[in-house]
Amino acid sequence: MKTYEDLPSDGGSNIMDQVIDQREQLRRRLDQIKHKVCLMSGKGGVGKSSLTANMAACLVLRGHKVGILDADLNGPSIGKLLGVSNQEKLEITPEGVEPGQGSMGIKIMSMDMLLPSADSPVIWTEGKDATAVWVSTMESTALQELLKDTIWGELDYLLIDMPPGSDRIDNIRDLIPELDGVVEITIPSPISQHIVSKSITKNSQLGVSIIGLVENMATYVCPHCNQEGQLFEGEDVEKLSKDKQIPLLGRIPFDTRMSRQTGTGKLFIEEYGDSVTGQAIAQVVDNILKFIQNKSN
Amino acid sequence: MKFLCIPCDEQMATQVDGIMPEEKNNLVLKFKCKKCGHMIAMLTNKFETEFVSKLGVEAGGPSDMAKTPFGMMGSTLAEGKEELKKAGPDEGDFEWTQEAKDRIQRVPFFVRGMAKKTVLNFAKERGIKVIDGALMDEVREKVGM
Ligand SMILES: Nc1ncnc2c1ncn2[C@@H]1O[C@H](COP(=O)(O)OP(=O)(O)OP(=O)(O)O)[C@@H](O)[C@H]1O
Ligand SMILES: [Mg+2]
Ligand SMILES: [Zn+2]
Repeated sequence: MKTYEDLPSDGGSNIMDQVIDQREQLRRRLDQIKHKVCLMSGKGGVGKSSLTANMAACLVLRGHKVGILDADLNGPSIGKLLGVSNQEKLEITPEGVEPGQGSMGIKIMSMDMLLPSADSPVIWTEGKDATAVWVSTMESTALQELLKDTIWGELDYLLIDMPPGSDRIDNIRDLIPELDGVVEITIPSPISQHIVSKSITKNSQLGVSIIGLVENMATYVCPHCNQEGQLFEGEDVEKLSKDKQIPLLGRIPFDTRMSRQTGTGKLFIEEYGDSVTGQAIAQVVDNILKFIQNKSN
Repeated sequence: MKFLCIPCDEQMATQVDGIMPEEKNNLVLKFKCKKCGHMIAMLTNKFETEFVSKLGVEAGGPSDMAKTPFGMMGSTLAEGKEELKKAGPDEGDFEWTQEAKDRIQRVPFFVRGMAKKTVLNFAKERGIKVIDGALMDEVREKVGM
């Protein structure tokens, strides 16, 4: 009797060929992007999206072409932060889908751009009966489509704004094996550091390289007198950095103007680049660039 | 996964026409031996179907949907922009009623292309232009699932 290897194909479906086709298309897209960096945190609400947007802006100011993939499928916020309205028409051609043009020429792709209204939820047609496995598989296929079908064109940097938690990093690593690394964002609270520490361990085990740690909302800067004060009474991020042996890329002070900007499309960096917080973000970006440069040398 | 006809020692081919628009996640795939014509059906339950769906591929070979950018999302998002839904493959002269659209939408993604082909071929044979729920019932009856 014939064995598996004796049979030339799988009976007409060519499942393997289809998978290979998809991968090749993804490869063609990714090969036009020099560097890919993931911003993540085991913890929610620590400023991943705000920092992704503002770090992208810093990269543009340094002369780079930048795109952002909003990998937070259920809680997309990149469109809002960069002033791409959900109501803009989605341009789909046989070539792919045109990314949104955000502030400062940053190209974005986000689930928000696919939904009919700003408050439409992401629901896959399997609906109420969908099991967690099903939803998770749909999400990983969706991520692949967002990456491979978006006409990113030539980019120097693609930043990936991750959803809270560390589940999706497996997908990203699988889709982008050449990922330059991840930036872990934390805030000075014991709970945040505890969770981020887990996320760091997971990344190490997966072989995902970690560029470093960023401590957001590290201090509070008074917008009137530029004096810094403590915001959280917390764990020392330097200890976490030492324990895990990953560099601390910077500490970013809290600045109320950062949250106020949300929704106007103008980025904090554009208007307040000279503030203490603005400079701290720029410092983090420079450290990331240094890391990438060292790695490629 | 491959299927072999033991008496003929020949590979069995996926029957593109053998897949039925089944609204549950249970699935029927038919395979036929090209030599002796013997047919078998592969039956899967919801979990097995989900497992295959993970690959984002389609049984019976890629349909036009696979070549459409954001094709899986366009055909699987419950609420999506018009442009996204419209970007799907061109159905030619056929018109689907809302009921028929909803029903085909409930077929798992990786066999939806095949299910569509089955229904369209059936409609073509009979010179039917409007695809509705009744036609889909008829197809199911005929294909014998
Ligand atoms: N350094 C900062 N100064 C002031 N406000 C900040 C700062 N960083 C983040 N914020 C604010 O904190 C809130 C949460 O930030 P953001 O949405 O970027 O977090 P996130 O980690 O992406 O959240 P999620 O886990 O929900 O994706 C926002 O209102 C944002 O404006
Ligand atoms: Mg976010
Ligand atoms: Zn046979």
